[in-house]
Amino acid sequence: MVDDADAVPTELQSELAEILGPEGLITERSQRRTYESDGLTAYRAVPALVALPVSTEQVSGVMRACARHGVPLVPRGAGTGLSGGALPHPDGVLIVLSRMRRIVDVDVLNQRITVEPGVTNAAVSRAVAPHQLYYAPDPSSQIVCSIGGNVAENSGGAHCLKYGFTTHHVLGCELVLPDGQVVQVGAATLDPPGYDLRGVLVGSEGTLGVVTQVTLRLLRRPESVRTLVADFTDPASAGTAVSAIVAAGVVPAAVEMMDNLAIQACESDAAAGFDVNAGAALIVELDGPEAECDASFAEVVALCQESGATAIRIADQPDERARVWQGRKAAFAAMGRLAPDYLVQDGVIPRTRLGECLARIAELAADAELRVANVFHAGDGNLHPLVLFDSSRPGETERAEALSTAIAELCVSFGGSLSGEHGIGADKACSMPKMFGAEDLAIMDRVRAAFDPDGRCNPDKVLPTPRLCGERPGRYRPHPLETAGVIERW
Amino acid sequence: MPSRSEAAGPNPPDLAAGADVVTVARPTDLAGARDAVVTAGTAGTSVLIRGGGTKLGWWARPRGGSSPVEAGPSSGRASSVDNQRPSTVIDTRGLDQLIHHEPGDMTATVQAGMRLDLLQAALAPAGQWLAIDPPRRGGVVTVGGVFAANDAGPRRFGYGGVRDLVIGSTTVLADGAVSRSGGTVIKNVAGYDLNKLWCGSLGTLGLVVELTVRLHPLPEATKTVRIPAAAASASSFVTDLLASPVECVAVEWSGDALVIQLEGRAAGLDARLDQLARLAGEHGLEPELVDDDVWPALREAHGGAPGATVVRASTLPSQLGAVSDALAAAAGTDVSVTLHSHAGLGLHDAVLTGGDASTQAAVIGTLRTAVEALGGHVVVRDRPPELDDHLDPWGVPGSAIELMRSVKRAVDPEWRFAPGRFVGGI
Ligand SMILES: Cc1cc2nc3c(=O)[nH]c(=O)nc-3n(C[C@H](O)[C@H](O)[C@H](O)COP(=O)(O)OP(=O)(O)OC[C@H]3O[C@@H](n4cnc5c(N)ncnc54)[C@H](O)[C@@H]3O)c2cc1C
Repeated sequence: MVDDADAVPTELQSELAEILGPEGLITERSQRRTYESDGLTAYRAVPALVALPVSTEQVSGVMRACARHGVPLVPRGAGTGLSGGALPHPDGVLIVLSRMRRIVDVDVLNQRITVEPGVTNAAVSRAVAPHQLYYAPDPSSQIVCSIGGNVAENSGGAHCLKYGFTTHHVLGCELVLPDGQVVQVGAATLDPPGYDLRGVLVGSEGTLGVVTQVTLRLLRRPESVRTLVADFTDPASAGTAVSAIVAAGVVPAAVEMMDNLAIQACESDAAAGFDVNAGAALIVELDGPEAECDASFAEVVALCQESGATAIRIADQPDERARVWQGRKAAFAAMGRLAPDYLVQDGVIPRTRLGECLARIAELAADAELRVANVFHAGDGNLHPLVLFDSSRPGETERAEALSTAIAELCVSFGGSLSGEHGIGADKACSMPKMFGAEDLAIMDRVRAAFDPDGRCNPDKVLPTPRLCGERPGRYRPHPLETAGVIERW
Repeated sequence: MPSRSEAAGPNPPDLAAGADVVTVARPTDLAGARDAVVTAGTAGTSVLIRGGGTKLGWWARPRGGSSPVEAGPSSGRASSVDNQRPSTVIDTRGLDQLIHHEPGDMTATVQAGMRLDLLQAALAPAGQWLAIDPPRRGGVVTVGGVFAANDAGPRRFGYGGVRDLVIGSTTVLADGAVSRSGGTVIKNVAGYDLNKLWCGSLGTLGLVVELTVRLHPLPEATKTVRIPAAAASASSFVTDLLASPVECVAVEWSGDALVIQLEGRAAGLDARLDQLARLAGEHGLEPELVDDDVWPALREAHGGAPGATVVRASTLPSQLGAVSDALAAAAGTDVSVTLHSHAGLGLHDAVLTGGDASTQAAVIGTLRTAVEALGGHVVVRDRPPELDDHLDPWGVPGSAIELMRSVKRAVDPEWRFAPGRFVGGI
């Protein structure tokens, strides 16, 4: 029995029990509580019911029942999201896809795989590794996060600079609409006739329906991989090196940067061999045909030296390379070594404005009397400033949150984006008007309504609502990109 | 008002059949584009958008008096629109400016009506290009037209399609709302990616006015290899090539040979050529190095000669042989057929000449049945208008058609943009 009174109709509960069986429905409050937040733990809500379907039919049945009773639903994968996308609705059903983890089909010849949404990102690459194939998008959370979550967030990773984001690798999805209808968007073959709804679905953060199957494009492993770590006195000179590499026409597989604080955290956590005295470390990885990779690698080494690298370490042994990446991918978790609490930010700026932006972040941090560590996907200008704080000190949490939001909005003012990969979710919905005008948001809302006319699918996420963010003034306000000098009004 | 508008004379010959054109607007900026759409709305006309005018024949001919639109189960609102109402044509070719090129960020913002060849010429001095190479049809194709049609060329194999390279867009909707989606940075997940919705929508949702695109460096060196091979052996070679570490940017098959392009650093191309030759040898095939100037003809072949019917079949890459067989079986004596395939992608263009509309329709119908049995689909692109009396150029829509109609209703509730010309009567 649901013990928080009347959160959902009792008939719904018995219908779901019928559809899902005893294993598939969680009603006990203490068990439901384990799902109260995703990776953004500042936001919490206990879902009224938790459904754990094992098939598309069950998902569809659950969604039809929710539709009949007018009950909201929230999809959830592995719960590693960092924007509160899987934050439950207190009066709704949380649909957890983690039991749908079958690999449905592997087409080695055509380099495609079809999986259920609960399969982890890393499991996809593991399943096809014997065929020299892999799945390119590689979020740092790849061992845990689910393909369904990746699709919903359009997740990226260190190697997305060269190979693209999730949206470039999803060919088709089976989607259960909020009314329970099952449709196929996209296909294993390219360009099926009609609108590219798959393209809209990817990155829609669970607001358009529940994805129950995904067909992905796989890539052949590159013949050769070369990796280096270059130290610099400060992030600005590391940034100069990145620009020089790009200007030389080299498209690296990955270019990652960490500032001194981030290096210290990673090193004390993972001992990956980063120099804790360096002002900034750049990880550059090249891959491709061997001879060309070698030629470009020599050029990158020279460009780093010209840009003032104080040391260059070549990490060509597989275990050495793995250690560098482990160190980098553990960066968020490692922040626990520097402060009791931290917030992960995710903004994007045009790469050419890196120096300016970092200077402003440092000023904002100084004003807030907080420390900020910086980790970024430097090749595509995706910053992850980590705001360090101590929640036991009065007022510090609020200051940290305000600083983190200010940093995201700063990125927009540089002509960038509120989010490069972690999504808008519950966290940034109210910042959306900083990046988009009222007309832009209105049309997104209309598209959403085409999928979900009743507004029951992951409500209060992505798009700002008056309930969430307060009424916005009705008079003309310049478009955010106009203010940033990126566009002009007609 | 920075837009010229004029009463149309007789229908321009290259406009979709059946359109009664009352006005042609030629906006030169966003304000003018918005005006043109709003004016059409006030006048109660449909809006037909044209760029270079090379894809107008891809539209379906609107059938009957109104769009066959029923209220979807979830829409609650029926919509019925006179497909034959008079039309305003919006000609985008006055929107021809490169607004901004940021070489350091490898991005550019361009007006939708800019000719693709002129854009490439403007980017080249910085050593960059927009990595798409669709048929250029004598140079007239525009960036926005290629985007709206989701057209592509041989190097889609290496770079992805135009869908993958557009990072931001500005689109005028039927009510005059200006929708911006995406942004000016390559990585961005804020809000829905509506760029994907406009891409391939063939002017049925709104008027795309500006696009921001990701650019790539021009390659340092390129090599082209021709490998004579019939479809079946080409097909098995291609799947082995995909499984090998030999990276290519284009893998084409045209009639009797594969043509493959390699790009990269001068330092390493020879090694890759050797690998490619070895792989071909294992298949008993004999590769020859040919000049890069074979590409324009290969690229244009996918568009077909004027007057030809072009049928696009989409399958898995491994199915080239099967498509070729199906086509041979379908072709009769009257209709002659050539096949040009983006073999690495599984996209095949059959160019049909000869025979009347009903004979061609029979060939296409047979091919469509065979390709659908393989799990693929067939769309008819250029064709004589009468062909539509025999065959729906878009084929039978899939399970998402009601959802597509809902999206159409949400974005263009009065069905102002090219009604009846898209999939399933959209
Ligand atoms: C340590 C750490 C490192 C990270 N590194 C990266 C990184 O490098 N790059 C990156 O992009 N992200 C990163 N993330 C963020 C996160 O891992 C990704 O967003 C991931 O894709 C979320 O997957 P999930 O299965 O955990 O989804 P959840 O958190 O469960 O859900 C995320 C969103 O997807 C929706 N959703 C989930 N499944 C479905 C489905 N089947 N159908 C419809 N909607 C669904 C939810 O409603 C929610 O809106 C990191 C997170 C952590 C904790």
